[in-house]
Amino acid sequence: MISFLTEIPEILRYKELLRNLVVRDIKVRYKRSVLGIFWVMLHPLLMMIVLNMVFSEIFNVTTKNYSVYVLSGFILWNFFSQSTSSALSSFTSNRSLINKVHLPKSIFPLSVVLSGLIHFVFSLVPLFVIFIISGTPLSAKIFVLPLLIGMVILFSFGVSLIIATLTVFFHDTRYIYDVLLIALMYATPIFYPESIVPQKYALVLHLNPLFYFMDIFRMALYLDGPHLFRSLLYGGLFSVGAFVIGWFFYNLYKERIIYYL
Amino acid sequence: MNKLSVDISEVFVKYRLAREKPKTFQEYFIHRVKGKSIAYEDFWALKGINLQVRKGESVGIIGHNGAGKSTLLKVIAGVMKPTQGNITACGLIAPLIELGAGFDPELTGKENINLNASILGFSRKEIDSKFNAIVEFAELHEFIHCPLKSYSSGMVSRLGFSIATEVNPDILIVDEVLAVGDEMFKRKSKDRILGFKEKGVSILLVSHSMEDVQTLCDNILLLDHGTAKMYGDSETVIDEYLKMNA
Repeated sequence: MISFLTEIPEILRYKELLRNLVVRDIKVRYKRSVLGIFWVMLHPLLMMIVLNMVFSEIFNVTTKNYSVYVLSGFILWNFFSQSTSSALSSFTSNRSLINKVHLPKSIFPLSVVLSGLIHFVFSLVPLFVIFIISGTPLSAKIFVLPLLIGMVILFSFGVSLIIATLTVFFHDTRYIYDVLLIALMYATPIFYPESIVPQKYALVLHLNPLFYFMDIFRMALYLDGPHLFRSLLYGGLFSVGAFVIGWFFYNLYKERIIYYL
Repeated sequence: MNKLSVDISEVFVKYRLAREKPKTFQEYFIHRVKGKSIAYEDFWALKGINLQVRKGESVGIIGHNGAGKSTLLKVIAGVMKPTQGNITACGLIAPLIELGAGFDPELTGKENINLNASILGFSRKEIDSKFNAIVEFAELHEFIHCPLKSYSSGMVSRLGFSIATEVNPDILIVDEVLAVGDEMFKRKSKDRILGFKEKGVSILLVSHSMEDVQTLCDNILLLDHGTAKMYGDSETVIDEYLKMNA
């Protein structure tokens, strides 16, 4: 039992490495583009325009403020999907380092999730711009936003630990995860409103952790809803659950990773 | 100077080599559904290795490819847990990190120094205080703010050597990387390694260059198929190794 916890203080000892890995990830990603880090803000805006053109006619009746709806959904989805799908290869792509130096290996998926967080924070800027332009008043419940961010980090880190470990042993985890992400994306109200989901699929929606995260995020920003507490509860349970399962799974197999890298 | 910095006793390392290694879920499930358990073959990379390295001692590890040299270094570096046996290593272990491991070609030399030193567990303040000395020794003054991809391979290995040695490790692990750099730098790095011994730094060197091993190492461990074939002073062991090859 105790051996499952030894890596936590080690991560704290290597916080400088964690910082450097996050910085590297962000620097390297935008180094060669002309607009650099501005892409983090521009990209969701452009995506919003596209989604708006495609879907606003269909959903405008049911959803007030469709641009805000779709942009908020999109950036939160990106936070989760991009962090986890790049964390998936975080052990295999750092194989030469893991082979040489003793490190708390979980620092690699963690750094990917944290650089996803930085992207997310940057992409809140265009979101608030859209709020101002569309004259949408911010909700008073904005204080739950840090709580939501904490949940998404825990959840993404837990999922990342599982898929990054699996990838070491089974290389086709990548392809399976890509498909699962697509399925999950359609099961999450990102660009469609929750109200159009037929009753018979309601269960699918309510088993999807991302559904609760979306719900909390939009309520924290601008939507009214009576079920904030319910979503916080389920979202919290899902994120702590994913983290605990991921952490145990990784710790169970971490000594074997080196033999397969 | 008689304190041990590395103590390895009766270390065994087993690799499980699957006869048909399932690399995909599909293969794995088909295997399991057919009711076959996966046939594994045990391969012992190290079979009962004992090695004591004192502070300030340098030990060379030689042997043919596949003799277990790299596995032994992995065990010492704490990257791999031995299947059986005990290993204790005291103090900071610094491996020489080559291109592709802790270096990122898109980052500048300075950024790579930060990254690399933090891989060894250093804080920002400690890194900053060593920065000038690292650049100085690597002879990279005017290039330190250029991205690493514009460096020659000699420059990169100079930087790697400079970082690993400037952080004052207790144990330095050198895995076949002294061969790079020009003659001048080779001499400089050898001098530094020899100077380390006086400071009480232990050195573990894996090399196929008998010349390097002879000039740098006090004792040599000769590995053969995972067993310690011989351990002793450089000359005797190198003679034995050359006889093996003949």
